[in-house]
Amino acid sequence: MITVNHLSKTYRNPDGTSLTVLKDINCEINAGEVVSIIGPSGTGKSTFLRALNLLDPPTGGEILYNGENILAKGYPVHKLRQKMGMVFQSFNLFEHMTVLENIMYAPVKILKKSKEEAREEALSLLRKVGLSERADAYPSMLSGGQKQRVAIARCLAMNPEVILFDEPTSALDPTMVGEVLSVMRQLARDGMTMLIVTHEMKFARDVSTRIFFMNGGYIHEDGTPQQIFENPKRSATKEFTQRIRRVVFEVGDHFDLPGMFTTMTRFCIKNNIPQFCERVEKLGELMVTDIMAAYRPMTVRINYKEIADEASLDFMVEGLDHSPLEAASKEKIQPLCREIIEEPTTRGFRVKLLL
Amino acid sequence: MNKRISQFVGAVLLCIGLASCSSDGEKIAQLHSEEDIVGLTVATAAGSCYDLELSKRSDIDLLLFNKEADLLNSLLTGQSDVIVHDETVFNSEIRRDYGIKIAFKGEQEFPTAIMFRKDREGEQLALAMNTVQNKLLENGTMQTLKEFWLTDAYLDNRTYRHIPVETEGKVLRVVCITNMAPISFMIGDEWYGFEIDLIRALSSYLHRPLEINLYDASGMIALRNGMADLLVGGMFVTPERQEEFCFSNPYHNFHPAYYVLDKEAQTVASAGFWERFKSSLQKNLIEESRWKYITSGLLETLKITLFAILLGSVLGVGICAMTRSRRKWLRNIAGFYNWFMAGIPILVLLLILFYAVFARSGLHPATVAIIAFALDFAAGAGDIYNSSLDSVPHGQTEGGLALGFTRLQTFFHIVFPQALNHGLPLYQSLCISLLKGTSIVGYIAIQDLTRAGDLIRSRTFDPFIPLLVITVLYFVLAWLLAVLLKLAMPKQKKL
Repeated sequence: MITVNHLSKTYRNPDGTSLTVLKDINCEINAGEVVSIIGPSGTGKSTFLRALNLLDPPTGGEILYNGENILAKGYPVHKLRQKMGMVFQSFNLFEHMTVLENIMYAPVKILKKSKEEAREEALSLLRKVGLSERADAYPSMLSGGQKQRVAIARCLAMNPEVILFDEPTSALDPTMVGEVLSVMRQLARDGMTMLIVTHEMKFARDVSTRIFFMNGGYIHEDGTPQQIFENPKRSATKEFTQRIRRVVFEVGDHFDLPGMFTTMTRFCIKNNIPQFCERVEKLGELMVTDIMAAYRPMTVRINYKEIADEASLDFMVEGLDHSPLEAASKEKIQPLCREIIEEPTTRGFRVKLLL
Repeated sequence: MNKRISQFVGAVLLCIGLASCSSDGEKIAQLHSEEDIVGLTVATAAGSCYDLELSKRSDIDLLLFNKEADLLNSLLTGQSDVIVHDETVFNSEIRRDYGIKIAFKGEQEFPTAIMFRKDREGEQLALAMNTVQNKLLENGTMQTLKEFWLTDAYLDNRTYRHIPVETEGKVLRVVCITNMAPISFMIGDEWYGFEIDLIRALSSYLHRPLEINLYDASGMIALRNGMADLLVGGMFVTPERQEEFCFSNPYHNFHPAYYVLDKEAQTVASAGFWERFKSSLQKNLIEESRWKYITSGLLETLKITLFAILLGSVLGVGICAMTRSRRKWLRNIAGFYNWFMAGIPILVLLLILFYAVFARSGLHPATVAIIAFALDFAAGAGDIYNSSLDSVPHGQTEGGLALGFTRLQTFFHIVFPQALNHGLPLYQSLCISLLKGTSIVGYIAIQDLTRAGDLIRSRTFDPFIPLLVITVLYFVLAWLLAVLLKLAMPKQKKL
C-alpha cells in the first residue's frame, strides 16, 4: 500500500545551517496493518508521519502509494490526503463549527455528499466514538479527550484507506488518554490500516501488528511487538523499550516529606499510573515516619517498568545486614502492596514493595 | 493630597477669573484710534494683513483665529476686547444681531484686486481684467456696484445679479478663498458678490464661462500650480504677494475696522432661549436653503468614505499578501509602505497628493481625497488582515489540508471565516475612524459635511447650531456605516 524508499528530510535554517531529521527511511506498509512508531524524542517520528501525507514534504527519496509516486510533479496531493486521514496531537478541530459541522464539512464540500446523507453518517460516527450527545457543541466546549474523538470521527467521515495518528494522546490529561485509546483499539479491530506515532508503550504492544523503533533518523528496528518489546535484536531498542523510570530521594533527618509525595504523585500521573498515587503516599509515609523511622538516613526510590506495567517502591539502608521489618509491621504493609521483597545488597539492605 | 488639589483648582479658577476681568469697559467705550487699543486683547484673522500689522505691536495681546465666526465669537464671549477685520465683513445686519459696533476705522488703506498667476497667461488675463474694470468705470457700472455691495445696500435689495456671464467656451477656472458677503459668497451652488460681478464681466468680455471652486487659504497654491487661472476673495495687494503673483488694478481701497461690543444695543441674545434657538435654526438652516449644504456635504462625506473603504480594502489585501510573501523584497516594500503611512499625517498626504502629485492631472478633488484615504486605509486594513490571519492557529490550516482540501479551499472555507471573527471589530473601527478623518477634505476644496458647517458659519457667524447639526450627522453616519458593514459581512457564528 505504502512503499517508502530512501526517504530523507533536511531542514534548512535561514542562517545557512541545516538539520537532517530523516536520514534514510525504507519500509513497506500493507493494507490492514497497524504500525506503531516509537522511539526517543527528536528522532523524526512525527516528521516521518507528516512526510507521508506531504504536510512536511521530504527532501529526498520516494514514496509510492498504491504504486504511484506521490512525490512526482503535479501529483494531486489533496486527492492523496482524502484517502490518507490524519489525527493530530493538537486535534485541529475547526473552532468556528459545531462538532457535527466539523464532521460533515469535508464530505459535503469534497465528496459532494448531500447534507442529509453527510449528517446521517456524521451522527453514526459520533455514536461510534460515544459523542452523539455533543453533536451541536462547539470544540471550545469539549474536553481534550472528547476533541480527539471528534477529530477521529471527522477523519473517518472521509472514508480513508489509512489513518496517520501523530501522537494522538500526548496533549491529553492522563485521565482522558483511555477514552481515545479505546476508540483507536476499536478501529484497529475493525481492520483499519493505521500508522501511530505514540509514547503509549502498552497500547503499542497490545494493538499493533508491527512496531517501528526509530532512532537518529532511521528505522532502527522493525518487527512484531513481541520482538521489539521482549527480544529486541539491537541494543538501542532494548535500552528504550525495557528502560525503567525512577526517581530517587535521599531521606535524612531534615527532609521535605510533603515535597517527596508531590514528586511521587507527579511521577505516577506522568507515567499514566494514577491509580497508584494513593497507595504510594500511604506506604511512603508509613515506612519513612513509622516502620523505618529509626533507620534514617535511607534512600527511597519509586520505579516504573512501562512494558511490564510494574511499579515499586524501594527503601534502602546502607550498612544494614538484616531486614528492618518485623512481623507486626509487615502486617501493616501487606494490604497495601502486592509483594514484599527483602534482600541484602552489596552496600546494605533493601526492602522492595511491589505495587 | 486633597488640599493640594483644591488649592490647584482654586489657583486655576483665579487665573481664569483674572483673565476674564481684564477687559476694561470704560477704556473700550472711548476707542477712537489705533493708539487707544494699548493693553487690550485684540483678535484678528490668522495670516491676514491685519495679523502682519498688529503683530508688530508689543503693547497689545494678539489672538489669532482661522474663521471669522470664531473671531466674532471671541468678542461675544469676552475672550477679546477688540476684533480687527475688513470693514465689510460684519455688515449692519450682523452687527445688529450680535450687538457689536465699529468703534473706528483704521487709517491704513489696503488696495484690493483680483489675483492672477505670474506668467504670460496670467499677465494677459490681468490686462484683460484691467480693460474690463476701465470699461465698468467709464460706463458707471463700477459706481453702481460699489454703492450696492459696499454700503450694505445689498441687505435691503436681494436681487444680486447685475452682470451677465458667458456660458460657452474654454472654462476660466476661478479659485475663491472666502465665502463671505459682500465680496464673494455662495447661495446654494450660485456665487454672488462684488468680485464675482467683476469676474462675470471678465467672463463675458473673454467669452469664457466661469468655474468657481471654494478653497481655504491654500487656494493660492492652487493658483500658482496652474490648477486655476485666477483667484478672488478680497485679496489685498502687498509687495510680498506681488513678487509671486500678478494683480489687476485695485478696484477699491479697504480700511481695517475695529469692532467692539455695543453695550447699548438690543440684541437677539436678550431673547429667551427657545426664541433664540428657533431663530438660529431658521437662520442657519432654512434661510437661503442652507440645509442644502448639509445634505450635499453629507452625500460627499458618505461618497468619499465608502469609495475609500472599498478601494482601501482591496489595496489592503495586496499589502497583506506582500507582508506574508516568501519574497523578501516584497515584504520590504510592504514594510516600507506601512512605515511611511504610519508616519505621515493624513492631512499632509492629502495636500501632497492634491497640490503636487495630481496637481496637473485634472483629477476631481474628491477622487484625490478617495485615493489619499484609500492609501491610508490600506495600511491599516493590511495590518488588520495580517493579524487576523495570524490569530488563526496554523493547526487549522493543517487540519483542512489533511482532510483533502486544496490550499485555496482551506483558506476560504476554514481560515478566512475564523480570521473574520477576529478582524471584523477592528475593521469596523478603522472604517469609523476613516469616516471621521474625512472631515479634513475641506482643505482641498471639497464641500463635505464639516465644510458645509463652515460654509454656513461663515455666512451666519453662528458658533453653535451648524456644529451641533454636523456632529449629530456624524453620529448618524457612523451608525449607518456599522449597519452597512453588518449587512455586507457573512453571518457570524457565536463561539
